[in-house]
Amino acid sequence: MINKNIQRRPIKWGKVLSYAVLIIFAIIYAGPLLMLVNTSLKTLPDFMKSATSIVTSFNFDNFVEAWNRANFPRYLTNTIIYTVSATLVYIVTAIFLAFPVSRGYIKGAKFILLMFVVALFLPPALIPQFQLMLRLGLYNNPIGYILLFTINPIGFTILVNYIKTIPIELDEAAAMDGCGYFRYVTQILFPLIRPAVATTAVLHAIGIWNELILPTIYLTNQDYYPITRGMIVFQGVYGSNWPTLAAAVLIMTAPMLLIFLLMQRYIISGLTQGAVKG
Amino acid sequence: MNAYHFGGGKSRWVPYAFLLPGLLLYVIIALGPSIATTFFSFTNATGIQGAPIDWVGLDNFREFLFMGQASQDNLAALGRTLIFSLFVTTIQFGLGLLIAVLVNQKLKGTNFFRTLYFMPVILGAVIQGLIWSLFLYPLGGPMQSILDIFGLSSEFFGGPPSEAFAWVIVVQIWANMGTTMIIFLAGLQTIPSEIYEAAEIDGASKWQVFRNVTWPLMTPSVNTNLLLNIIGSLQAWQLFLVLLGYRNGTQVLGYLIYAVGFGQTSGSVTSSFRQGYAAAASIVLFFLVLVLGMTTQYFLNRREKRILG
Repeated sequence: MINKNIQRRPIKWGKVLSYAVLIIFAIIYAGPLLMLVNTSLKTLPDFMKSATSIVTSFNFDNFVEAWNRANFPRYLTNTIIYTVSATLVYIVTAIFLAFPVSRGYIKGAKFILLMFVVALFLPPALIPQFQLMLRLGLYNNPIGYILLFTINPIGFTILVNYIKTIPIELDEAAAMDGCGYFRYVTQILFPLIRPAVATTAVLHAIGIWNELILPTIYLTNQDYYPITRGMIVFQGVYGSNWPTLAAAVLIMTAPMLLIFLLMQRYIISGLTQGAVKG
Repeated sequence: MNAYHFGGGKSRWVPYAFLLPGLLLYVIIALGPSIATTFFSFTNATGIQGAPIDWVGLDNFREFLFMGQASQDNLAALGRTLIFSLFVTTIQFGLGLLIAVLVNQKLKGTNFFRTLYFMPVILGAVIQGLIWSLFLYPLGGPMQSILDIFGLSSEFFGGPPSEAFAWVIVVQIWANMGTTMIIFLAGLQTIPSEIYEAAEIDGASKWQVFRNVTWPLMTPSVNTNLLLNIIGSLQAWQLFLVLLGYRNGTQVLGYLIYAVGFGQTSGSVTSSFRQGYAAAASIVLFFLVLVLGMTTQYFLNRREKRILG
């Protein structure tokens, strides 16, 4: 054992090869992002001269310009309103549905669960959904747009499964102490299922934040555009001015990256739910 | 049904009252429309408010599959959807598996690599697409500089349709490989380390361990990933919208349905709000997904039985 440090350790080729592959992929994954940051700090003439040269002096004008010119505050506010309100409505309604279904406190609980599971095996709802919104007068209407995001079958099943892990005796004990249904769900159950709620809410919110198709279909008024749709418009106008466009993309990316780094655990647990149980 | 503890009589209706909003939203916004797609596929519905809707039987399907140039284009889009799915599924599955095995080792920095590879997943198609439009900037962008080293060149998304299409496949895999990796990782982590230790004592090589221990034991995550990749890639088209627009020779079925149904087009292809026709097209895509998904499921089940039994 004493000789351990003196003996030359053999090179572990497996390890070297592993790192080689991981680093190559790191370049493929980080490269496009670094290019984005690099470009956003350049002036347009600099970019035209050489697209790949590395910035030496930081120029933040692009961010100011993107923010002011692109109607960004408006798009960003819209996206935040849509994301927060739809996620809130979704979470509250889903919990009140998931709890009695998970517990079997209602007639037809199994049927309701089945209704959510089959959703994954049905045709897309796109066309009839549009016909419905059109006839309800909810086309090009922020309320109608928000309503489209108040459902999520996968999140629902995550909640149902998680509630099953909370012992049913707790319901009995609380009821015995005179706790009512509403108070039980909101003040006793809710804190206990917070991890599942976090997972469901984050996944749902990310989906709304990134949605591009539905705003393209349902929102024709520019004042209602979320940031995704706004970016496409912005690209149309600033398509050749990559420094400003890159700054705009970064402004849009930053909140998502922050949420990702803070909530990574919940996002990953949501995506792998049931994936390995078979 | 379980015994209900929160009171009888009128208060027995409380859980029903509170679940109603969630149930109604789901039935009205998702389940109902989903089922109604079949109905609309037999009509001439349009996206024009107040226009009458007539029953046209199988006309939409006939037109979609068997009538002249348009159906040639549709079948070409269908073929392209299959090609896209084939490439995306196999490459994403293979890379995801390789990377998952690599970052599952006891190495320094694996957390960093995992986070980095997974990150694009949460960025969404708009950001993913714009990031790659810049990376593939044709006038001396980074990828062009890399290709220059090898004496190659590409016009990327502005090139011939097949070339542009291939680059979309690259971006699609870059964007979603992280999910495949994470699911494989979760599968790898369910394998107890004692099994590896036992195999090591028996003197098995790394490849033998993977082939005979790891691979069979990660069957559930293999199944999940294969199905998710097939179904996901058949339905994916958002990156086409961001990167190429509705361009002849590159459309996949999902994009075609959207273009026909909602008239959002750019370039040379014109379309109207033919929603009955679009519904028929989405039924075709739905059957494609169903048949391929169920066939895959069938073979995966057989394989699983063979391994376990």
